[in-house]
Amino acid sequence: MLREFVPKTRLRSDALTVEALLDDLESRYPRLRSKLRDETGALRRYVHVFVDGENVSSSTALATPLSGAHTVDILHSIAGG
Amino acid sequence: MAETKVRVLVGTRKGTYIAQSDAGRKRWTVGPVSNAGRDIFHVAPDRRHPGTLYAAVNSGFWGPILYRSKDYGRRWEEVATPLSPKSKDRPSPFDEDPAHPTVRPVTNLWHIEAGHPDEPETLFVGADPHMLFRSDDGARSWAPVPGINEHPTKAKWNPGFGGPCLHTVMVDPRDARRMYVGISAAGTFRTDDAGVHWRPTNAKVEAGFLPEKYPEVGQCVHHVVFDPSDPSVTYRQDHGGIYVNRHNMEGNWDRVGKVRGGPKSDFGFAVAAARSRPGRAYFVPLEGEARTTWSGGLQVWEWNDANRSWRTLMSPKKFPGDFGVQREGLACDERDPAGIYVGTTTGQLIVSPDAGKSWLQVPYAFPSIHSVAVA
Repeated sequence: MLREFVPKTRLRSDALTVEALLDDLESRYPRLRSKLRDETGALRRYVHVFVDGENVSSSTALATPLSGAHTVDILHSIAGG
Repeated sequence: MAETKVRVLVGTRKGTYIAQSDAGRKRWTVGPVSNAGRDIFHVAPDRRHPGTLYAAVNSGFWGPILYRSKDYGRRWEEVATPLSPKSKDRPSPFDEDPAHPTVRPVTNLWHIEAGHPDEPETLFVGADPHMLFRSDDGARSWAPVPGINEHPTKAKWNPGFGGPCLHTVMVDPRDARRMYVGISAAGTFRTDDAGVHWRPTNAKVEAGFLPEKYPEVGQCVHHVVFDPSDPSVTYRQDHGGIYVNRHNMEGNWDRVGKVRGGPKSDFGFAVAAARSRPGRAYFVPLEGEARTTWSGGLQVWEWNDANRSWRTLMSPKKFPGDFGVQREGLACDERDPAGIYVGTTTGQLIVSPDAGKSWLQVPYAFPSIHSVAVA
C-alpha cells in the first residue's frame, strides 16, 4: 500500500530513533507527509511500526532508539470493508 | 460555443466517478473509478477554471487528502491538503479549555468551495473537527480561518451524528467578502469581512435536542444553498426542519417545512436549487429516525417560495425502496430546463432532465453515494 507514496520497499537510514526515521522518510518522499502520522505526530490508526519484530506503535515508543543496525517494518493493518 | 457535455461528479464511499451525457441528459455513460477504495465526501467543480475539479478524499489508512483534476476527472494529482498546525500536545478532551482550544488533527475533509470569481486562486475547504481553511494560491498552501475556527461561541458547539463537521461553505456571488458556513452542530454563520469576524445566523431555527428551543447557536444544520437567481434568498435543510431566509440570513428563518401540503416529515439532509427555476428549491425529505424515505419509495419535493406551496415531483412508485440521501447528494445544473440529480446511499444516481417532469436512473450500480455535483 505504501508504494503509492514510496516507490521502494526497502530503504536504509541513519536515523537514531523511530520518530527521526519517519522524519527522514517524509523528507525523502514528501508525499508521505501526513500519511503515516497526524498533525500531533501520532501514528495514524492503522499504521504499525515494528523494530526487530517488536511493535512500537504507541506514541511514546516512537522515541525507541535505533543506534546500531535494526530492521524497522512499517505496515498497515488489514482493515475495512 | 456552449458546452454540450453534462458531467455529474459522483463522490462515493469507494471512489470518484464521472457520469456523462449530452445536453439531452437521457443517455448516460459512467467512467472508470478514480481514487478507488477511498471515501470521497465531496467532488466539486471550479467553474473559474474549466475542467478543474477537486475531490475531498478521506482514508482510514492515510487520513485526509485533497486531489485535483484539470481534465474533468481523467487524471488526478494530489495537491496540498489543509491540516491543523503541527503540535505534540494531546491533552484529554475532558481538560479542554474553551478559551484556549486544543489544536486537533483534521479527521475528514467535508466540502470544497471555489472562491469568488474576482479571486480566481482562492478556495475553501470545510473539515472536521469544525474547521474552515482558505487557500489564496490555488491549493498550493492552506491557512485555517481562526475567526470561525475559534469562534467565541465554540464552547456551545456539539458534534453532529456524522461528526463535528464544517460541511457547508457559501461565497456570496455579489460580494467576495461575504460568506456563510454551516456547521454540525453549531448552525450557520455569516461574515462580511472575508472571514475575520463571523456572527451566528440561526434565528428561529429549532434545536429540539437542546434545553433552549431556539438558541443562538447549536443547531444541527445539514445543508444550505443560495437561490442562484437571487442570493439574498437561502434554503436550509436543518435537523430541525426546512427553512427559508430571504434577507441574506438576517432575521428569522421561516419554517416552510410545516406549510400545509408539504412532506409529512421535513427532516432530511439535502437541498438544491436551480438557476432556471427561480424561487424554487428541492428537497428529499426523510423519516426522522430511520433516515430513509417513507411511503415505500424515493421522493423529491419542490418548494415554491413565490406562492408558498409544495408539490411532489416523483411518485414513490417510480423508484420503490428505502433510500437515504446525504447532504451533498442532491444537485441541479445550470441548464434550462433544469437537470436535477439525486445520489442515494444505496448507490443509485437518479436524474430528471426536465426539472422534475420525468426521471430516469443512470444504468450503473455505484457504491454508497455521498455527493453529486455538476461540472
